[in-house]
Amino acid sequence: MSKQLYVDPNECTGCNRCTYVCSAVHEGKFSPTIARIKVNNYPHKGFSAPSICFQCPNAPCHQACPAGAISRNADDVVVVDADKCIACGDCVEACPYGMIEMVADIAVKCDYCGGDPACVKECYPGALVFEEKTPELTKLMGMQMKQRSKEGSPADKREHLGSVLLSLYRD
Amino acid sequence: MNLYAGKVLVVDLTKREITTEPLRQEWIRDYWGSWGMALRYYWEAVAPQVDPLSADNAIVIMTGPFSGTLVPLTSRLSLVSKSPHTGTIFTSNVGGAFGPELKYAGYDGLIIKGASDAPVYLKIVDDQVTLEDATPIMGKGIFATEKFMEKGVGEAGAKTLAIGPAGEKLITYSMIGSESYRQFGRGGTGALFGSKNLKGVVCKGSGAVTVADMPKFIERVTHHKTENLFTEDNLWANTDGTAVLVDVTNELGIHPTRNYSGGINEHKNIVNSDVIKAAKIADRACAGCPLACGKFTKIGDAEIEGPEYETLCLGGSNCEINDLEAIIKFNRVCDDLGIDTMSCGSIIGMAMELTESGRHDFGIRFGDGEEYLKLVEEIASLSTERGRDLAMGAKKLAEKYHAADVSMEVKGLEMPAYEPRGNYGMGLAYATSERGACHLRAFPIFNETPFGIDALVEEVVESQNFNGIKWSMCFCDFWGSINTDITAELLTIGLGEEVTAAELDKSGERIWTLSKMFNLYNGFGLADDSLPEKILKNPLKNGPNAGKTFDSKDFTEALSRYYKKRDWDEQGEPRAAKLAELGLDHI
Repeated sequence: MSKQLYVDPNECTGCNRCTYVCSAVHEGKFSPTIARIKVNNYPHKGFSAPSICFQCPNAPCHQACPAGAISRNADDVVVVDADKCIACGDCVEACPYGMIEMVADIAVKCDYCGGDPACVKECYPGALVFEEKTPELTKLMGMQMKQRSKEGSPADKREHLGSVLLSLYRD
Repeated sequence: MNLYAGKVLVVDLTKREITTEPLRQEWIRDYWGSWGMALRYYWEAVAPQVDPLSADNAIVIMTGPFSGTLVPLTSRLSLVSKSPHTGTIFTSNVGGAFGPELKYAGYDGLIIKGASDAPVYLKIVDDQVTLEDATPIMGKGIFATEKFMEKGVGEAGAKTLAIGPAGEKLITYSMIGSESYRQFGRGGTGALFGSKNLKGVVCKGSGAVTVADMPKFIERVTHHKTENLFTEDNLWANTDGTAVLVDVTNELGIHPTRNYSGGINEHKNIVNSDVIKAAKIADRACAGCPLACGKFTKIGDAEIEGPEYETLCLGGSNCEINDLEAIIKFNRVCDDLGIDTMSCGSIIGMAMELTESGRHDFGIRFGDGEEYLKLVEEIASLSTERGRDLAMGAKKLAEKYHAADVSMEVKGLEMPAYEPRGNYGMGLAYATSERGACHLRAFPIFNETPFGIDALVEEVVESQNFNGIKWSMCFCDFWGSINTDITAELLTIGLGEEVTAAELDKSGERIWTLSKMFNLYNGFGLADDSLPEKILKNPLKNGPNAGKTFDSKDFTEALSRYYKKRDWDEQGEPRAAKLAELGLDHI
């Protein structure tokens, strides 16, 4: 059984180190905007909820791609073949969580760093874990995966997930 | 440009002109960033005699070179201006995430000049920078103002700086808040914005910070994080937060109680870090900080990130408010209305003492949690006579009521929560700080000889110089073991140019000395490097240091040795040779 990335918002401090290291590893510079992980921050309520790619079964991005650029690899990770990407943006629209986006005309998304995610190593509070599934972790992810958005920008979709989790955890 | 954005945003509110300037390259290796760079820009922008609340004054806000990178604890942001509270040069710094966001938007810093004739806020979305109408949020608190401005950007995640009604009313210890519970806290930064009719700044940036050698940069940052940051020196910030200082300062007998009458609080267990941890619902971090010292607490309906140590003591023990829920409420209302909790707690403590001693009835006595919460509102709104009195600050309040003997300030800035009669080094640090009584320039509370003048002079001078560079890199105080060797190594890898620890050490002294020169030009001399009368004359009432004063003879001796150590003359003026050595002979 392969490992998966999970988020426990209760442990997230909103430090954003995951986004810094992600952009550094994938893009060679520090730029949270183009990181493959994002953090929805609600400092007024003392709450933060990272948005991650869930590597969905029947991934909407995969299904939407007209160019055959998106596939599922041997580790069950949904990956983009940059050479095949035609920058149509259909995957961006299809993802209900705002977790695939265009960077320099190529669709980019979380690839688990090839099996050793940099964000997890950088997460001191332990909000991000990379583990084989357990009933608790599946439940945690299931609650987050329910927060789909049909439309809106990727940022709007992430904000939807973040604000629903905020109300679930804090109200 | 590596590590830097390479640009500074200049906003002239009088002319409503927004321009960008290239970052002054010739200053980088003397001043580096944040405090140092902001100070150098400020020096260039105004005459030292400028009226702080006039349109002629400028506000310079600068990030550090590591802001927005993976170097931990570097997201702080410095503001330099002349303080309306002290009349001195003043540096204040804030945590949170505004600093990195400004860098990602493409700016190392922001210079605000002039004054708007109508209420505005500044909106920065990368290179789209506009002044927006702030009329709908005038009179509103910081929380609502931040929300309003963030909405105006149209996308979640914008970072904000805002003032509340206290800043609008030019109260000289009003502050600028960010992310609700973080502040450019001291010295009246809120009034600086208020005097310019500037209600806030909102920023969203989508750019990047680059380094010369990314794999090596990540490798060395990770090494220093693991080997140096994640050690006993610093991990208290993660496990306990600043509330740990309640027990520490009580043990040392330097925990101000009852308007600096005593050095221990018998009821400390009501507000120490165990209690904070029990009330905690989350750990909170500034951008890029793995330690997350912020403890988000909730008691009943009252919730806040904090309270931090200074508030727990000055708004608690020093007013004999031994009730965490009341302190949380006090903290929250100050954070929203835009008032510095430290100055406010100290001034209320002073009013309590004046009332109890029968010298003037402010209608508030030690331990009166209800009146104390009312008073904050009265101060922020200037709605009652006592509110207007207390809004003046300790120094002016003392002048009005002939109460210098109970006024706890240096150069007009109310003292932090470390008692100098139990540690002479802390007294020397307060007396010689460029902004008045401040604990962020030297913090010798752990010195093995708390009354040994030579060792303390040494530590105070070294710390002040080191903090000059530390705050210019924007390293948070809670990376207590950071040093210029690590800093130089990371700058070298990031910039792709050799930087040495020795040049950073020299920069620290340069920054400290330039601040001193600004104050000298404003007439702050030997007599102003002083301590409150109570510290010099009244014996401390309880705890291990009971009976102690820091008498004038010892204090004068310490100050004189301090000047000598700095190679300043007997009046505390840097000698020409020292200025030349630091490259400040043009000043």
